[in-house]
Amino acid sequence: MCDEVRFERYSRMKSLKKKFCLLIILVVMILGAGCGGGKGTPGFYVNPDIDFSFIKRVAVLPLDNLTNEKFAADAVRQVVISELLASGLVDVTCPGDAIAAMEKLRLKQGQSPSAEDIKAIGKALKVQAVILGAVNKFGEVREGNISAPEVAITLMMADTSSGSIIWSVSKTRGGAGFMARHFGARSETMSETMLAVVREAIRTLYKY
Amino acid sequence: MKTCRENESLNSLQRCCPPRAEAFAVHMPAINCIFRVKAKSRYPIFLGVTLAVIGFLLISICGCGGPKYFVRQKTDIDKIKKVAVMPFENFTSDGYAGEKIRRIVITELLLRGIDVVEPGEVTRILRDSNARSLGSIKGTDLQNIGKTLGVDAVMSGSVEAFGTGRGVSVSYPEVSIQLMLVDVSSGSIIWSVQHTVGGASFWTRHFGSEGITLSEAARKAVKEAIAALF
Repeated sequence: MCDEVRFERYSRMKSLKKKFCLLIILVVMILGAGCGGGKGTPGFYVNPDIDFSFIKRVAVLPLDNLTNEKFAADAVRQVVISELLASGLVDVTCPGDAIAAMEKLRLKQGQSPSAEDIKAIGKALKVQAVILGAVNKFGEVREGNISAPEVAITLMMADTSSGSIIWSVSKTRGGAGFMARHFGARSETMSETMLAVVREAIRTLYKY
Repeated sequence: MKTCRENESLNSLQRCCPPRAEAFAVHMPAINCIFRVKAKSRYPIFLGVTLAVIGFLLISICGCGGPKYFVRQKTDIDKIKKVAVMPFENFTSDGYAGEKIRRIVITELLLRGIDVVEPGEVTRILRDSNARSLGSIKGTDLQNIGKTLGVDAVMSGSVEAFGTGRGVSVSYPEVSIQLMLVDVSSGSIIWSVQHTVGGASFWTRHFGSEGITLSEAARKAVKEAIAALF
């Protein structure tokens, strides 16, 4: 056999070995970093019978604060309002309007509105839906010798004509990533985590 | 004797390596040219990968993009000449964070040629309106306040973070703000932005260089947020 052909085979084998090594490294990295995502379930609920195009204007009600951080719910609510507006999906009422409407119904912050309350808020604010929800986690988590921010939220949309829930999503984000833990890469701040988790939650509405 | 196939590959090698083609064909056992062919064909891939890595590193170090914001369609921002800046809601442990950000916002607006009502005047009107809390001020109330003060728009907002956070081995400033502009004539939100600044930079984390201070982070957050509109 010619030297030339032998070398061609040799170099092909060498490149195959390299590709195999790269593949193994990639698999190890994916396993190390985690690739997220639920299997089968989308991680959010959307009422299939609802036409979301009729929702033009929403009110974001104060969120329930299930954390020890005093202002966690207020901070997340502001981000939700801002992100809903920035998404261009719907128009949002002034934050004070929603609070005033709740006060008028004698609903305290943290008290879940009933279907009748939701209908009344919708009528008072002239909105087709209201956003409500809770902040489940807002703080630092320790992973070995590293602490990292963690935010967990639940958002829901209730239709003001029926008072029923038409969209619901729970999202959690946080913890030090693989790169931050092992290679000193930049980890997110609390504000960035909060912003990201709200964006992820709102993104589930995009398809509808 | 060389086969036809071998000759074909020889021809292709000669095309690729003209300077050494003759020597290769007569004396060399192909290795020299094969390596040159490999090196030559890999060069664009290597260059592409290097450029991609450099780009990724630059983006990681410098960050990218500005704040995500909302502007109501068909709104003529140029018509806004005078603005009243409301006291900001403070969701931080620093009792003065709201007022600190408010002052920076006023300065930034003035720097951009927007006239701003004196903060004391806004406070007086608010006191007279018997508003229970900043969060419960309705859109119509903001509209009335704006009309009383003779402004085109009212800016309200909140401070979600204002302090020093701790990373793996370094501490860093963190400022997060939300600004909203309400049109006095319609009473609706015409602009809204959420912006956050902070975190330990690449140079601080790895080389211990001095990062920005909390005040600088606050000024940066406000500047970048307002630059999204004016």
